[in-house]
Amino acid sequence: MTAGGGVLDLAERYGLTVALLVMLVAFSLLRPETFFTWSNVSTILGSQAVLVVVTLGLIVPLTANDFDVSIAYVLTLSSMLIAVLNGQEGWPVWAAALAAVAMGLAVGAINAFFITVFRIHSLIVTLGTGTFLHGVTLWISGSMTISGISDSLMSIVIVHRLLGIPLEFFYALLLCCLVWYVFDYTALGRRLLFVGRGREVARLSGIDTDRVRGACLIVASLLGALAGILYAGTQGAADPVSGASYLLPAFAAAFLGSTSIRPGRFNPWGATLAVYFLVVGITGLEFMGVSSFVQDMFYGGALVLAVTLSQLVRGREEQQI
Amino acid sequence: MGRHWLGAALAGLLAVVAAGTAWADGLDYFEKRLAPFTQKPAFVPPGPAFDARKCMAGKSIFSIPVSSANPFTANIEKAMAAAAAKVGFKFTTWDNQGQSSQWVQGMNAAMTQKANLIDLLAGTDPRVLVPQVRAAQAAGVPVVASHYSGNEQTAQVTRTVTADVPIDYFTAGGLLLDWAVVQTRGNLNALVLISTGPLSTDSMVAGIESELKHCEHCKTKMINVVVPDWGTRITPNVQSALLADPTINYIIVIYDSMAQFVVPAVTVTNAADRVGIDAFNGTPFVLGLIQEGKVQMDVGENLDWIGHAIIDAEMRMLCGLPAVHDPKIPFYIFDQHNAADAGRPPQLSQGYGDAYVDGYAGLWQLK
Repeated sequence: MTAGGGVLDLAERYGLTVALLVMLVAFSLLRPETFFTWSNVSTILGSQAVLVVVTLGLIVPLTANDFDVSIAYVLTLSSMLIAVLNGQEGWPVWAAALAAVAMGLAVGAINAFFITVFRIHSLIVTLGTGTFLHGVTLWISGSMTISGISDSLMSIVIVHRLLGIPLEFFYALLLCCLVWYVFDYTALGRRLLFVGRGREVARLSGIDTDRVRGACLIVASLLGALAGILYAGTQGAADPVSGASYLLPAFAAAFLGSTSIRPGRFNPWGATLAVYFLVVGITGLEFMGVSSFVQDMFYGGALVLAVTLSQLVRGREEQQI
Repeated sequence: MGRHWLGAALAGLLAVVAAGTAWADGLDYFEKRLAPFTQKPAFVPPGPAFDARKCMAGKSIFSIPVSSANPFTANIEKAMAAAAAKVGFKFTTWDNQGQSSQWVQGMNAAMTQKANLIDLLAGTDPRVLVPQVRAAQAAGVPVVASHYSGNEQTAQVTRTVTADVPIDYFTAGGLLLDWAVVQTRGNLNALVLISTGPLSTDSMVAGIESELKHCEHCKTKMINVVVPDWGTRITPNVQSALLADPTINYIIVIYDSMAQFVVPAVTVTNAADRVGIDAFNGTPFVLGLIQEGKVQMDVGENLDWIGHAIIDAEMRMLCGLPAVHDPKIPFYIFDQHNAADAGRPPQLSQGYGDAYVDGYAGLWQLK
């Protein structure tokens, strides 16, 4: 590797990290009394756990070259199941959470079945199952927001803190470590990468591509269900529509994250960094009193700009997804 | 030196007394504004009595709600259907999932079924149905936008439809500010969450701003989050605002379903001790949040009452009676003292009393 190539490589790997630090410094200088405080940092860290978990859920099938757009609907149904079973039917909250996890696993298995057995594109299948789940959510909720979720769930998600940061941040961090370990340090992670980079080549090499893809889809739905549990614990209630709004920010973070830390790959640290890059930017703009439409422009603009810069650094290789 | 000191002390004392007096007078004004809405609503006839059964014989109303998946409009539709059944005329609900293409289908179906009046309920936007509304009006079928706009917005609404059945959103917005001023003893620094798009938002914001003029030491900051972004934008925006300005002591939420995303922001920022929340709509889960002590007040409206009021106004149009400019749909303030009246868990239309049932029966000469 040449010196120039090494610098470019470093720039690509840590460009987003540097941009995040620059933003942190800039906003801290502009608003030292409010932005540059531990309470603000802890709030930023603690409030994005749901988005981090959804993004982690997305990058698992994306690495295997599959989309899962049903994940946001799994999140919504998971939180609604907890609200209905715990808040209305009086189940213990742990039992309601287990039911939500079981639902997530079942949805993942159904997605995997249709995608791998009938060879239907993952986008179509997960769009269909997601819409179906949306209907189920409206049905079991009577199209209403349901509150009354046990305080014990809120306590272990958002109320109790470590270093001043709500515990949900550490759950998300733990899941990020887990995905990172599997991706980078296990044979399964390697197989997953091969399947994503060249499915046919992987199959001819003896990898059971259907099993790998199926496992990824199940893990994605499982993470969607876990995000739903965190969502229910954060809100103390569940509504039948809002979970879907996590889909686009999660995709944005997944793609933005793929330009960082391990450029060219969907990777958990890059995805997590991307979530916080976007949220720091938006929080900073909010502190500056900027209107919400500028926040949208920042969100979309940052994504396109970062991916474009990454493409330029890599010499315009074609994106796989 | 001594004289200077005495003068300064006297001036300071006078300033304190003057400020105290202004503050006390102001608080009294806001408490009086709130008082009527803390009593169970009484029935106020929106017009003279008439023989509804006789004049509605053979007539029909066709209603298109903004979305059948929305429990708010779905329950108003049920109330309207029940009121129509009492009178004894045909009432049709066009079920839909909130897509404008489905509203167009509904308009066409209403014309095919030769409805005598088409009702666009609670957000079915006439601005995206201009050709269909014109076709209906050309055929002599009035198109009415109900529970869509404030009392003062009739002229704006009737640019695209024949008539409206408004609601007093202006007062509702004002009540939210009045309550917050009283709770903060006249030193309000409020974060106001709005969602632009619906005309009702403009009316409520105008009501808030109108009341704000009566409070010398109060100020507000508005945050606008459009409906599709509620789930992802309200919480971080409220968090940032609370951290950026530690003197914020109240959050006014103009549509109470937004409260679900405000409560976690207050919790995460450890602001529950300094910040109260009030809201508008009387949605059951928010009444539940009042029962749990997470929201202080919700201005509610009885969906069953609304259904009767809309049917009343529309029957008057079909019967050739003078138009109703204010359907007299009452608001009722729920707080920690009466939130339990809505039930546990809270139910739609519960806790408001039933003065309207006999009221409308008498007004329509059904008794």
